[in-house]
Amino acid sequence: MSSPFSVTRIADGTYRVETDRQSETVYVAGPPANRWAFWNGHVFRDTRAAEAAAAHAARPRTAVVQSLTAPMPATVIKVLVAPGATVKKGDTVIILEAMKMELPIRAPADATVMAVHCREGELVQPDAPLIELT
Amino acid sequence: MIRRLLVANRGEIALRIIRACRELGIETVAVYSEADRRAPHVAAADRAVGIGPAAAAESYLSIPRILDAARASGADALHPGYGFLAENPAFAAACEQAGVIFVGPPSQVLAQMGSKIGARRLMQTAGVPVVPGETPEDQSDDELRRAVDRVGLPAVVKASAGGGGKGMRLVRRAEEIADAIQAARREAVAAFGDGTLYVERLVERPRHVEVQVFADGHGQVVHLFERECSVQRRHQKIIEESPSPALTPALREQMTGAAVQAARAAGYRNAGTIEFLIEGTGNDARFYFLEMNTRLQVEHPVTEQVTGVDLVRAQLVVASGEPLPWPQSALTQRGHAIEARIYAEDPSHGFMPQAGRLLLYREPRLPGVRIDSGVVEGGDVSIYYDPMIAKVIATGETRESATARLIAALRDYPILGIRTNVPLLLRILEHSRFQAGDIDTGFLDGEGAALAEALDIETPPWVRAALAADDEPSHQPPATSHQSLDAWDPWRQLRDWRG
Repeated sequence: MSSPFSVTRIADGTYRVETDRQSETVYVAGPPANRWAFWNGHVFRDTRAAEAAAAHAARPRTAVVQSLTAPMPATVIKVLVAPGATVKKGDTVIILEAMKMELPIRAPADATVMAVHCREGELVQPDAPLIELT
Repeated sequence: MIRRLLVANRGEIALRIIRACRELGIETVAVYSEADRRAPHVAAADRAVGIGPAAAAESYLSIPRILDAARASGADALHPGYGFLAENPAFAAACEQAGVIFVGPPSQVLAQMGSKIGARRLMQTAGVPVVPGETPEDQSDDELRRAVDRVGLPAVVKASAGGGGKGMRLVRRAEEIADAIQAARREAVAAFGDGTLYVERLVERPRHVEVQVFADGHGQVVHLFERECSVQRRHQKIIEESPSPALTPALREQMTGAAVQAARAAGYRNAGTIEFLIEGTGNDARFYFLEMNTRLQVEHPVTEQVTGVDLVRAQLVVASGEPLPWPQSALTQRGHAIEARIYAEDPSHGFMPQAGRLLLYREPRLPGVRIDSGVVEGGDVSIYYDPMIAKVIATGETRESATARLIAALRDYPILGIRTNVPLLLRILEHSRFQAGDIDTGFLDGEGAALAEALDIETPPWVRAALAADDEPSHQPPATSHQSLDAWDPWRQLRDWRG
């Protein structure tokens, strides 16, 4: 593995990366599964983790049921549909609130609501299914 | 003079207030929720009192709990900061009744100016121009709908108690009215506990320019010039500066005069801001009273940088009953200052607020750059509170030099572990419209919306090299770097020399 760069760790998480003609300061932090880098106002996620995530997302779905999840920890402020309801692509089905902002959760496609797994007022965690559509 | 002051806030503004108190020899009492037990403002204060669970409604928004903390700690004054209870008249009144000095205007002024409806009426009688609009006495959906019809589309439905773009909805088409009323009312109740709404004609392509005012208890009212705050996303300010590139000297004269008139009409005391919308350009521009913010503003450092005064210190002096430290004739605007607000949010994914641990957080140190922040490396940004984590304020002799300094600071400000809006801020600052001083409040939601997309660039090879080096389990520099390691590591050189 030959690299044209010479890398020097100059402080915790801080690297000077040099060639004959160029010297850049790069900041790196986080465990291998959640590694971040910063250079010149740009933020980078470690691409290996991103590639793994992309491979995961590309796996064929065997079930026709799709669950919608909260993008971050949030409070459910409104559930707008009940099981059995039909929704159109783009319809708001649930309204969450986090950091004082409303976050509408919308149907990704025309579908029927199979189940609702949250209640108004409930604090929900990311990736927990809120609602199932088919 | 105040002896012991309770800071009824958190984050960067709590730290800002604590620093001003330290300069004046005032003891400080911090309050904190369970989520903030280890927050920087708690460590910075002389003492700290826990006031309840993480949810703001049960801690930073709880009047009884904060007053209990003030009594228990023997505080003779309280600074509310901004947000939370800062503009809540019941809170100010409760302080007054408890014999605690509220660092801000009297509660009846908060009540009058806090009602956008009351403030509009007062400004109309004081001869300050206002945007055409109305507030139905009957707050039913039907009556609000009729008010929108009378004002005409496009219109804005706003929370009377609102601010910061919350509880506000734009209506361009008749079929949007019902949803707008519901959403504005719901947000207004959630954020301010008051669902009263009013309707205003939309001023197209307005600029947002506000005037800092300050009044003492001895009849003196001054202004500290303007702040341009037109770079907004959904009515949330992102970049602020002073002077405004939009004001001619004649317009500045008129607006600052109107602002002082407005503060006098309100019987104002302490620091306040009169927000105006500007329609048109040059000396033909017209300005309208938008609202009065009866508190210290997030963007107050911009004014401090160009006038050279300490607004928080002046707040404490005036709240102690002393006269304003400066007459109008002593106040001048010198150079240019620009502030950028750093938010924990992901602009490329709908500005989703981000929560998590700050794995690495290093503030830049550059000439003419001030950072007001409330976070530290290793600390957590929680979901419970406002996602603003820091403000970067750059000052220069000209607008160009201040902008260049701000860009340099943001390029040298690593924040890792959560996404922030820094890449978007850089794109705005480098945009030709910003550089020409030609931004209206709709820019980021319209023509400039694309700036928030595809912010990530491909990982350059030198960043890959640093990532690979960081993979080394010992965190020691990898073998490939021996050449430069020799230059950097005195121990290695020493060893070589001995050997």
